[in-house]
Amino acid sequence: MSDDRLRASANRPRKVVRAGLFMGPIGDLAAVRLGGSQCTSCGETSLGVRELCPNCGRDTLAPGPLGDRGVLWSFTVVRHRPPGDYRGPDPFVPFGVGLVELPEGLRVLSVIDCRLEELRIGMALRFKPYLRHDDAEDVVVFAFEPVGVGGEVG
Amino acid sequence: MSWFLRSSPWASEAKLDDAVIIGTGAHPFGRFDKGYEEMGVAAAAAALREAGVQWREIGAAFLARMYLPATSGVRILSRLGSTDIPIADIEAACASGGAALRQAVLAIRSGEADLALVLGCEKMPRGFMDPRMLYSDWQIELGMSVNPAYWGIRARRHMHEYGTTEEQIAKVAVKNHRNSVHNPLAMYRKEFSLEQVLNSPLVCDPIRLFEICAANDGAAAIVLASGKRARELGVEKDSIKVAAIAHTVARYSANFRTPADSMSATLVNPGPSEITAARAYERAGVGPGDIDCFEVQDTDAFCEIEAYEDLGLCARGEGGRLVDDGVTELHGRMPVNMSGGLISKGEPVGASHLGQILEIVSQLRETAGQRQVPGAKIGMAHVLGAGGHCAVTILKR
Repeated sequence: MSDDRLRASANRPRKVVRAGLFMGPIGDLAAVRLGGSQCTSCGETSLGVRELCPNCGRDTLAPGPLGDRGVLWSFTVVRHRPPGDYRGPDPFVPFGVGLVELPEGLRVLSVIDCRLEELRIGMALRFKPYLRHDDAEDVVVFAFEPVGVGGEVG
Repeated sequence: MSWFLRSSPWASEAKLDDAVIIGTGAHPFGRFDKGYEEMGVAAAAAALREAGVQWREIGAAFLARMYLPATSGVRILSRLGSTDIPIADIEAACASGGAALRQAVLAIRSGEADLALVLGCEKMPRGFMDPRMLYSDWQIELGMSVNPAYWGIRARRHMHEYGTTEEQIAKVAVKNHRNSVHNPLAMYRKEFSLEQVLNSPLVCDPIRLFEICAANDGAAAIVLASGKRARELGVEKDSIKVAAIAHTVARYSANFRTPADSMSATLVNPGPSEITAARAYERAGVGPGDIDCFEVQDTDAFCEIEAYEDLGLCARGEGGRLVDDGVTELHGRMPVNMSGGLISKGEPVGASHLGQILEIVSQLRETAGQRQVPGAKIGMAHVLGAGGHCAVTILKR
């Protein structure tokens, strides 16, 4: 068995890459969504489950999952390995990063998991939580991918 | 435009002219095998010499820096001799120089000091900077800790909305590199053709290598005096007035520089450059059409195009056309980055805004040589960076 398959098959501890970023059971990736906080005072929805609204500063926040479909608002391609403790593919592979506009009225910065030549403003995207296999644990991270990949119909 | 009038504490006062620049000094921007203390003290001593005042006469001193260790201001300035004045290090990312200048202007305007020194100094790490200076661990792990990625995302959207082209972005770099040839304080003093810029490697699409600035070392300093002290020293006529200094941090969602994890899709807050410039124009009693020359943040070439629009040099979306029309060339109607900009000088973060101010002072004194904008009387310097920090200074002859 390869290291990867051993890791994936073992009953390894699982954590999230950032507390408050996700909602749903992390044991069931298909049910995981980005978490959001809607402010009942100013109406803004912000990313993650929070104590105070980053716009108006009030504590009138209602937590809820964000939609898993979005549209690419703008993007770039990172052509060189990011500095510091980057945990992407080694050796480095250039990747897309963009702002994904969600129906709740916010744009989330995300890696866009697709062929670079596919990237275009306005493309339909789907939230993609996945596991990163670190040495001691599995970490729930996320990207967005084009709707329609993986044999599913968007 | 009531949003800046409402929040401007100085709007009703007319004493801003009371802070005047009476001396400037610099250590060139580049990469040097010497300590920051040596570069900083060289710039400070030069500024004191030009002002014709002694270090022991200074009543307050501020160091702008981002990457230097604690108490750097004291470590640098104690080389000039022992003193018992307030010395403080100020950090506001790329706007650190503006934040430090503002402290000095406030010290003078309050009457606490009638002479103040502002020093910007930096010795930047070689290669990539430690991303933990700006980003959270999870952003670094996922690859969302690359500064030029944020610039590229902004540029791409601007191209989509307004038809701005990669060629227009490249022309900004060509212009600034061309201007730098005549600036002895710049790191790169070399012209590049449009083809060379457009053929340089992509860093983060559509931003290319010759369109971004390098982190480097350097120092710049100014001596500020109250109007009264300048008169007593007999240098009033040669002094340059600080007509306005404004420093702000971006409102919610209006800061998509670095770092960011999300922004609003419904709220349209004015960006930090727009707000800061409006405050500075208001305090100085001038508008963009009154400014003879500009030094603006060009960490990347697209950032300069965006600055044209935010500072009111043209309408939203018209920045690319301003480049095509040559308006911001050295001999254009609104010259921008006569010094060569950060693209040519490099960006020693703490020193960058003071470096811009030195260029504007040279322009207003008409000592800028081949970079001179004839008859320049009013100039503006603008910096913008991480955390949505922005500073705008307006100087008058």
